[in-house]
Amino acid sequence: MHNHHFQDPTAPHYMFQDDPYLTPRTSAEFKLYSLSQESGRMAANHIVNKNPKFFQKDFAEPHIPCLMPETMELCIEEVSEAALLERIMLRKVKAAVDMYDQLLQAGTTVSPDASNDLLDLICLYGDRDPVQDDKPEAEDVAQEVQEEGRRRKGRLRRASDLVRIVWRENNNAERIFNLLPERDTRAYSALIRGMVKYGAHVKAFNTYTDMLNNRLTADVHTFNALISAAPEVRERYTEKWDLIVDLLNQMNEQKVKPNLLTFNALLKALRRCGSLARAQSLHTLSEMKAMGIAPSLASFDHVLGIFYKAASPSQGQTDILQEVMTEVAGRTFVAQDPDDVNFFSSAMRICLDTKDIEAAYKVHDLLRVGENWRMLGDSFQQSIYYGRMFNLLCMMEHIDVVLKWYKELIPSLYYPNPQGMRDLLQALDTDNRLDMIPQIWKDIRRMGHDNKSDLVDELLSLMARDKHSPEIQESFAVCALDVKSLYEQGQGARMALEWTATAMTNITSVLLAAQKKQQAWDMLKLFKTKNRVPSEELMEEFLASIKSSNDPQHAMELVQISASFCLPSTPKLAERVLQAFELSEEQKTILSELEVSTEVSE
Amino acid sequence: MYRILLLSVCPVRNRALHVYIREACLRSSKCDIVSLPICRATNGGVFNAFGTSSVIHCEKKEGPLPPKEENSALKDGEQKVAVKMVGEKVIELQDYVKMVAEQSEQRVGVKMEGVTESVKIEEIPVKMDSEKMEEIQTKTALLPIPEVKLEDVKESEEMKEIMLASKTEEVKQKLEVTMAVVKEGETIVEIQVKTEEVVDVKKEGDKVVEEQMLEVNKEEQQTEAPPKDEIQPVKSGKESLLDLLGAMKVEVTNKRKFKALKVQRTSETAARPMPAAMESTTSMFQEATGMADVPAPAPSETLSPELVAAVSAAAATLPSQSQAESELLKKLRQHEAIGEAQKNGDVNNIGQVVIIADMKVGKKPNGRQNARPANQIRFDEDGRGYTHDRGITAELDGGLRRRRSLFSGKRLNIFTPSTEPEADTDIAVPTLWDMELANQVALSTNQMPRNGFEEMIQWTKEGRLWQYPINNEAGLEAEAQVPFHEHVFLEKHLEEGFPRQGPVRHFMELVVSGLAKNPYYTIQQKREHIAWFRDYFQQKEEVLKEAEVYLN
Repeated sequence: MHNHHFQDPTAPHYMFQDDPYLTPRTSAEFKLYSLSQESGRMAANHIVNKNPKFFQKDFAEPHIPCLMPETMELCIEEVSEAALLERIMLRKVKAAVDMYDQLLQAGTTVSPDASNDLLDLICLYGDRDPVQDDKPEAEDVAQEVQEEGRRRKGRLRRASDLVRIVWRENNNAERIFNLLPERDTRAYSALIRGMVKYGAHVKAFNTYTDMLNNRLTADVHTFNALISAAPEVRERYTEKWDLIVDLLNQMNEQKVKPNLLTFNALLKALRRCGSLARAQSLHTLSEMKAMGIAPSLASFDHVLGIFYKAASPSQGQTDILQEVMTEVAGRTFVAQDPDDVNFFSSAMRICLDTKDIEAAYKVHDLLRVGENWRMLGDSFQQSIYYGRMFNLLCMMEHIDVVLKWYKELIPSLYYPNPQGMRDLLQALDTDNRLDMIPQIWKDIRRMGHDNKSDLVDELLSLMARDKHSPEIQESFAVCALDVKSLYEQGQGARMALEWTATAMTNITSVLLAAQKKQQAWDMLKLFKTKNRVPSEELMEEFLASIKSSNDPQHAMELVQISASFCLPSTPKLAERVLQAFELSEEQKTILSELEVSTEVSE
Repeated sequence: MYRILLLSVCPVRNRALHVYIREACLRSSKCDIVSLPICRATNGGVFNAFGTSSVIHCEKKEGPLPPKEENSALKDGEQKVAVKMVGEKVIELQDYVKMVAEQSEQRVGVKMEGVTESVKIEEIPVKMDSEKMEEIQTKTALLPIPEVKLEDVKESEEMKEIMLASKTEEVKQKLEVTMAVVKEGETIVEIQVKTEEVVDVKKEGDKVVEEQMLEVNKEEQQTEAPPKDEIQPVKSGKESLLDLLGAMKVEVTNKRKFKALKVQRTSETAARPMPAAMESTTSMFQEATGMADVPAPAPSETLSPELVAAVSAAAATLPSQSQAESELLKKLRQHEAIGEAQKNGDVNNIGQVVIIADMKVGKKPNGRQNARPANQIRFDEDGRGYTHDRGITAELDGGLRRRRSLFSGKRLNIFTPSTEPEADTDIAVPTLWDMELANQVALSTNQMPRNGFEEMIQWTKEGRLWQYPINNEAGLEAEAQVPFHEHVFLEKHLEEGFPRQGPVRHFMELVVSGLAKNPYYTIQQKREHIAWFRDYFQQKEEVLKEAEVYLN
């Protein structure tokens, strides 16, 4: 029942309040509303966890653990191993290290398990307390994050993710590791993983050598970490690959069974091995098959990344995408690797790069299978995915199909950016469905792109370019007036659009084409007040329109306006008016004066 | 296999195919005379290599030819045999070109007989031909009749189909034949350059043949094309290529020599410029590929028809002969790779190899050709090329073959998959790393519920909602293992620490009775409850004894 196929494309996402007022209409609103619900939850949780004593009453029978406050505070104060374990469980790195030191000073021996747990904790968090939003202590970390973020300006997304906590020389992990009476595989493993995670790649390999010298064998996680670090410690592609093969051989010698993450790390490392990667990635897939390990989406994502480099044009390698798609078609995937979620957006990127609409449909079909929609990633990745898909559709598909998808995707799944809307307009233009423009304009307004002047300009120029049937012209005129009102209202909450000459010209000519003389006339006057100059073609159109209604008064006015703009075509205009209209003597003299005066002035 | 070769070389000119058609259809035209022995010789060569069976196969292949008016005669096996006999006779008389001409005359007669004997219909096209011929003669028209040409084009396509069938059969049976052709094909370019004189000689000889043939069968010739063209010694590069091919064969066997001459002839006819045919090459290409999709009528479809279609089509679409040639060579080189292993098996081939070695033919040191031999052809095939490793697998899966499968390639060969069940080493408590990884994966796929059902599913997983099916013992999992009598029969807990009789005992029996009916307490709580009373009464033992109510 909760199947994707039954999704109502007209309805907003379930996570939003069931209130039209709170239905997001723009991507900004979407972000705000979806985050607000989540942040509300977080805030409530925070209050509950901060004040557990007020939330002790257990109403539920049977007991519901997730409704009860979590203990976030330390309860055990005395120096003991239990206190150490508690600190480890609560992920308090500094407190745990302090406790460990106190225990050692007091002469107590800490059990190997506890010290290994502590080492795990320190290595996992790189000897830093994990950033917790509700902790004031996190401020100093946050400041560093901000500094780093400033350095990395330009990449807006997740600045905090890009900031790497670096593995410091002789940090607590190394210190405690050296203090350990006996260092087993697990301790080494923790240390190596931590080093790899926090960028001390060479050191990780040194530690590994140290470990081998101590006649210990590594575990699979250690190898996974080392394989992913291998491209960092070698320069040339062949050397990188040789190192990886060496590691794999050592794995085999040490009777360590590889798992999915091993191969995913291998494929990910291969992405940085240049020309070697193509053949070796296929061999790796065969190896996975031989080992009975089913590749996850991340594996396929890495393979695609190897075969379709972003920079180089695709050289007839569409086969790989097709083969991957035939391989995965109809299968349900469960997330096994954090990289799994990259598959769909990168597959769609390849479809877009190769302009392969068929493959894009296949990718999208895969998304609809079972629970695969969960693998689409967060809202950012989703918008990228749908944006690419929509771009491709606009480029390759007939407009009817594009509109079908448009209705299905927007706005329940995807809020297109201005570029997406321009793509759509271009698709409309290509297939001669410009009559859809007023409808699209409504969507543009709703999505908050009506303040993007280039988008509005393009829309107007498309409307003004060709002649259409009267009904369409009528709807265009309504749309153009709407645009005009948008220009005029301005100054309020949002940045108002600045009138441009082309926009004004386009609006006026749309109005003229729809026989809305009065409004067009108003527009012409607006030129003057906004200090814009109408084009000569527009004046010609005006004259033609006036001629059809045979209104000498307006013709006079038109010539005068033209003269006031000092248009070079004024004499011609005056001449034509003199010929075409029956004018009074007075008007004739004025016109001939204009004709002469401008000529003289030239 | 020679057919493949010829097919691949000649498709630029539909004439060549036309000639084949004529041959296959046993039409008694001049072209027939020219081409028939080729085919026969081809077959002969084939059964030189591997007995008569292949000939039978070939005939079978030719059997399912589309029932055109002429080729209905084809199915007549007797006629076939007769013609073959003739062909063999011809072969025996190979040394003199004039003899050849005579023989061909004879053969025409025989063939005509065969035709008339077997099928009456056969006569009609012949007559038609002669009529046409007469027309042409009267007009002295140098231009070929467009109708004929159109027919030819169609026929050529049919012919090609047949060729595919028969060829695939042959290839499957004996790869060494393929190899032999490859050898020849490789040397062609070189020889072409070096031995032009030979070609000239050939030309001369050929001309003689032609003239005689003309005398004998002028009429038929004219149905085909203006005689002027025939006589004109316009020899294209391709022609000379075929000449050379023939020349090599001459030295191999006599039959081949004869055939070589025939090849020359055919190529000559093929070399005639045919504007209509040229125009039709594109459509031919399309149809050729289309045909390739349709399985050939042959029962055993061995080599992918795509291959043949691609080669012929590719050569046809290319403007220049040299390109076509080089392409052919590339293709043949692929064959060579396969046939290499079987090279030494066949006597004939060894002979060829020796001769080729004597001729000091070296491979053209063209790196580009060697680098990606299939590239050009692949391009013509719209990117859907064929594998280099055409082998048993390629033969097996026919049209569905993929260029590369994700999992079919060789593997790294580092790990050995162990069949033994996995030792449960991960029973240990998950480390922080494992929890962190699980958390990451969960976060990455953490989607907001899309509807009420999903939300409820989520809540159920969190334990906020009842699990279905509804169970009134939910949340009492700890008690699930406790049998009911533990709850109900609690008297055994009174055995110790309580008096045997008296008011205390009586009181405790009431307590136990009450506890037995209490559904809310766990068994542990009930025990604790009883234990509390035990303690209490033991503390008050003195008092109770004084009151004489504590009886033990």
